Amino acid sequence: MIFNTPIFFAFFLVFFFFYGFVFLKHKPRIYFLLIASLVFYGAWNYHFIPLLVGSAVADYFIAQAIFAAGNVRHKKMLVTLSLAINLGILGLFKYADFVLESVADFMLLFGYQANIPTLAWVLPVGISFYTFQSLSYTIDVYRGDMEPRKGLVEFTAALSFFPQLVAGPILRARQILPQMHQFSLPSWHEAKYGMLLITAGLLKKTCADLLAAPVAKAFAVQESVSLLEYWTGVLAFAGQIYGDFAGYSDMAIGIALLLGFKIPLNFRVPYFAVSPVDFWRRWHISLSSWLRDYLYISLGGNRNNHRTRNVFITMLLGGLWHGAAWTFVAWGAFHGVIITLTHYLSTLPIFAAWHSGNGRGIMVIKWAITFYLVLISWVFFRAESLADAGQILLAMHGLASVSLPIAETVQWIIFSLVVLAVGLMHWMDSGILKGGERFVEKPWWFWPLMVLAQAVCLLIGAPSDEFIYFQF
Amino acid sequence: MTDPLNSVSEMQTPLMSNEASPSDYRRINLKIFLSILGGMLLALIAIRLFAMAMGASGEAFIGRPLGALSYLPQIVQEPTDQVMVFGSSMVDAGFSPRQFDRELKEQGVDIKSYNFGFGGLNPYFQDLLARRIKEHYLQNNKRLKLAVIEFNPFQTTQTRYQGSLAAIDAYFGMLSNEQERFDLLLEDPTRGILVYDIKYLRDSVSAEMVTFYFGQAFRSGRPKPNMEPETEAEVARRRDVNDKLEGRFEQDFPDYVNEPWSFAWQGGGTIPQERSDETVELIHEYFASLRTEYRMQADKLWRAQSADIIELNFEPILVESFIRMVKEFQQFSDAVEIIMLPKNSRYIVNSPEALARQQNVLKQIYQATGVTVRDFQNIPEITPDMYSDTTHLARYSGDVAFTHFLAEYYGELLKK
Repeated sequence: MIFNTPIFFAFFLVFFFFYGFVFLKHKPRIYFLLIASLVFYGAWNYHFIPLLVGSAVADYFIAQAIFAAGNVRHKKMLVTLSLAINLGILGLFKYADFVLESVADFMLLFGYQANIPTLAWVLPVGISFYTFQSLSYTIDVYRGDMEPRKGLVEFTAALSFFPQLVAGPILRARQILPQMHQFSLPSWHEAKYGMLLITAGLLKKTCADLLAAPVAKAFAVQESVSLLEYWTGVLAFAGQIYGDFAGYSDMAIGIALLLGFKIPLNFRVPYFAVSPVDFWRRWHISLSSWLRDYLYISLGGNRNNHRTRNVFITMLLGGLWHGAAWTFVAWGAFHGVIITLTHYLSTLPIFAAWHSGNGRGIMVIKWAITFYLVLISWVFFRAESLADAGQILLAMHGLASVSLPIAETVQWIIFSLVVLAVGLMHWMDSGILKGGERFVEKPWWFWPLMVLAQAVCLLIGAPSDEFIYFQF
Repeated sequence: MTDPLNSVSEMQTPLMSNEASPSDYRRINLKIFLSILGGMLLALIAIRLFAMAMGASGEAFIGRPLGALSYLPQIVQEPTDQVMVFGSSMVDAGFSPRQFDRELKEQGVDIKSYNFGFGGLNPYFQDLLARRIKEHYLQNNKRLKLAVIEFNPFQTTQTRYQGSLAAIDAYFGMLSNEQERFDLLLEDPTRGILVYDIKYLRDSVSAEMVTFYFGQAFRSGRPKPNMEPETEAEVARRRDVNDKLEGRFEQDFPDYVNEPWSFAWQGGGTIPQERSDETVELIHEYFASLRTEYRMQADKLWRAQSADIIELNFEPILVESFIRMVKEFQQFSDAVEIIMLPKNSRYIVNSPEALARQQNVLKQIYQATGVTVRDFQNIPEITPDMYSDTTHLARYSGDVAFTHFLAEYYGELLKK
């Protein structure tokens, strides 16, 4: 059940009717929210509902046990158990086949043909999101950052909260659980802001779908693709992944706002970043901050002269979080390298002035370099294999062994439209960040533009699969 | 930059547990509920107005099959025995019902035949169409004497199926009946609701179709063969003949109403006997001007790209749809034949692997339906100069020859 489909619209109207007018007391409301979330999740594959509920139940009781444990050793054992359960589920469903296939490939390098059977299990949708969310709860309780909450149903409802269940943002338990306990009534201003975010998300998703065609052409790695089409395809993918994921996040945050829940923004115009570190402060913020707080800091963070190692491990695992493939590992490694390099260069006297400079010219150059590096990284992310990624990168830089055809006029038009689409998405987001709140207070602008934007989203679209981030 | 969510969270929000009353809740939720409903309603009205302004309707995309369906009440009332040749645009271009009827009459058989060839419909859609035809025949207690169904391997490939996905829900909405739509809703609620939405709220114009339509301008052109393009003289010749043909039809048939489906000619076109010698000569010349080597090679590349015409990687969904379609016809036809229409083998040469795949599919069809597929792809009666491109027969030459072939082939069967 995808947000931009008629079935979700029907689901939400029915849900909202009962949520907003019938179940107004806390207990029935929590039960209703939980059931609705499980229906939403079960629409994909109801067989995985027990896995989701099982994760919640396990972590709920483990957190209680951690809090009650008398000594650190006992607490450590319990948090390790939570890690083992959550990462074990994730590993089994998401990474087992990748590991088995990689072992077989590795053995083949030494001439040994290993027939290792794979599991070929279906990946439960949203598993990477809700396991991280659940883990944050037990780790927070273990660290003493929060006390465990009473109420299993409330905790399960929070973990399976349908607006952000399948593709984030990844919420911390301390962000969502108090809200689940309180059930705030959104103000009319907040509700309108929620509608603004939903509409912005729909527009971004529409843009993302329209960008799919040039992406598919470039990443099919055919001989008949021109140099311009490669650049167009990679730029289009940058727009597609942003529109798709940020669009989903916006809709999730907007829907949550209509229900009285506040979820932090997950993107802050990431392609305006002026360094790789800045990019990660703006891109998929809920994941990057999760990795920072629960992985990077656990590894030691900036201490003990291991910053480079810790950054690299964090980014490598961050890459692997997105998918079980070497292309994602390479994507994470690439970001690890450019972040480390940025840190290193900033320590050199020759770059110190450059690093701290914020003049307009310097900022434009920093932005251009960062955007170029991010584009290169997307090649690894989207390519079918590392070999394909290599070939696309060579072709983009005119180094392909095959002769590339000359770009036609229509290709320049498509390139311009892709630039326009990516620019428009960022212009819109920038506008919402800077003036969204004022905008919702201007009814003569707000309502007509909302209707117009909805009409545009209904009018155009392209057949596409589900949101890209569902597969992660 | 401000953080709207942080600042939003700083605002005073009455809490249900201690501040907001149930009436507060209902009031604000009613505003939200009505805003969502009203906004969506206005947006839908806006897109309907846009579609009206553009003159767009789902029916325009499949005007010919829907037109044919609208004539079915008349067709089933015909007292004579009937033959229906059902298939793709290759049937549309390659079968002349009026000539078929004339030739059969000369053989002593009084029959009325129909050309039910429709471009752009793969077997998935043809199956739906066949169900609608069956309903009309069964309701009127009428049977076809002979149903000749085309198996078109080029319409049954994975590439073709992928290419049709943009229109699949809209076409399903237009070609299905209420029961089929309801069954889909129960089987796949996501798609079922989408189909209802497209059919009833969007006048059968899906977002995918609008995007496809407007996106045409931004698609790279058809693949170009690596050879010398057409000469100026060749292009000029075609333009000249085309200009001369302009208005000929209206001159010959001033009273003809241009129906979306040419019921007047039983779904086919006119026959040479109904046109002047000069017009027929011009039409021959026009088709000859289309058969330049460059155009034929370009057409071959395009069909290889859009229909996998050389390698023929079949789509199981479409093969199963074809089998279902044949079974539909078997329910209201005395005899059902499956044929493969001639193809221009000067250009379309399948790989051995493709032919093996095709053989497997033909076997699967036979096993499921009990009907042997008759392969007329390379019959000697059709020569390369009878095509308008690599797959379609040319009017007044190819269709004449192939219709004659069918009349001879099925004459004996129809005499029974």
